[in-house]
This record gives sequence, structure tokens and C-alpha cells, in this order.
Amino acid sequence: MNDHGCDECTKKNADKQWKRDFPIEWEKDHYVTRREMVKFLTLGSAFLVMANGVMAIAGRLAKPGAFQRRTVALASAVPVNSSVLFRYPTDEDPCILVRGTDGQLVAYSQVCTHLSCAVVHRPEEGVLFCPCHHGYFEIVEGRPTAGPPTRRLPRITLEQSGDVIFATGVEV
Amino acid sequence: MAEPRRGTTLFTALLIVVGTAVVMQLWLLTAAMDALLAQEYGLLLPLTLGSFLLFALNAALLKFVFDFDRRVEQR
Repeated sequence: MNDHGCDECTKKNADKQWKRDFPIEWEKDHYVTRREMVKFLTLGSAFLVMANGVMAIAGRLAKPGAFQRRTVALASAVPVNSSVLFRYPTDEDPCILVRGTDGQLVAYSQVCTHLSCAVVHRPEEGVLFCPCHHGYFEIVEGRPTAGPPTRRLPRITLEQSGDVIFATGVEV
Repeated sequence: MAEPRRGTTLFTALLIVVGTAVVMQLWLLTAAMDALLAQEYGLLLPLTLGSFLLFALNAALLKFVFDFDRRVEQR
């Protein structure tokens, strides 16, 4: 039985002087190499489980962020089936406030969950639309309905005091 | 030379099993990263447990390799 071509290797080695001077024990070589590889992979496996553990600990320690209450817009300034852009929780986070055809106010992060393009409101279709890759999100819960996005848009929780709408938090 | 030859075949099989387990662990790590960023913290512990089980399998196979080595050296 010619396992890994080793008998053949020996025959080939026999006809060359330098191979006779420096013979290679292929069986032993394969044996050691594969054994070392098993050790190396098991070490890698240990690192991977540690990385997973670090993430589990980070998840345990993570606290829901405390969000500031921030003014978004005047309710009277947002007609039915229209939208207003604002930024929350920081000035770097674009969001969109939408009043649907039922008059209900909802707000979402404007960052598409696919590749972070800005979604826009399409009043004629009653959806939030991502122009980069044609992703569609429905307005009531921000869930993806078509295109590449698979996760819903982060929702901005709202409070209304008189005519003023406040953003109070983010629900991922 | 019979023992190393059997060892080579054995370690090839072990390599396939261990390699598959490591690839599965990589997949679990990716899923854990995704869960962490999506703030779905409940998924992290089961994912870590799964990864640990695969590591335990790998460690058991490595112990077998050490035992095999010892037997080879004794002969």
C-alpha cells in the first residue's frame, strides 16, 4: 500500500545522490506535522472560547444606556403622512420622525440596518426606503419588508407634552 | 514505522474533526459579535457554552493525541 506516495518517494530518493545523502522520513514527517497541527488548532480553539467568554461578560456588564430627554419637533408641525428629520441621542445620530396615515407618531434611527445608508420616508408608499440597495421598512414597527435588510430599525421612544414631542430613548 | 503510519492516518482524521470544530467556533464567535452589537445579551451565554463544548471536544482529542504519542515512545 502506497500511503501518501511514500514508497514512491523512497524509490525516487534512491536514484539521486543528494537524496541519498539527506533522506527524508516522510511518514515521520507527516506524523509530526499533523500532530503539531492538532495542537495548534486546539490552542486556537481555546482562544476562540475565551473570546466568546469575554463577549458574554461584556454582555453581562453592559447596562442599557441612560438617554437624555431631547426635544424633537412640534406635533402640529408634522402633518399626516409626512416626516421630520432630527438627531438623537447625539448630534451624530440621524433619526426620522414619521406621522403615518393613521396619525400615529413614530420615530426610528435613520441608519439602515443593512449598510448604514440613510433611510427616507416615501409617503406615497407609506414606507421607509433605503435608496442604496432598495431596502424597505414598514412604518408601524420599523421591520424590513423587502430588500437586503434583515433587522428592524432602532426605534426612538417618544413622549408628547402639549404640542412638543420629546425623544426619550432608543430601543434596538 | 507501522505506528507512525497509523498515527498519520489517525491524525488526518483528528485534524478534520478538530478543524471542523474550530470553524464552528468561528461561526459561533461571529454570531456572538452580532448578538452583542444588536444588544441581544440573552444569546451570548448559550453561544459561549456551545463554543466551550467544542473546545472540550478538541481538548479531549488532544489528550488522546498525547496518550498516543506516549504509547509510540514507549515502544
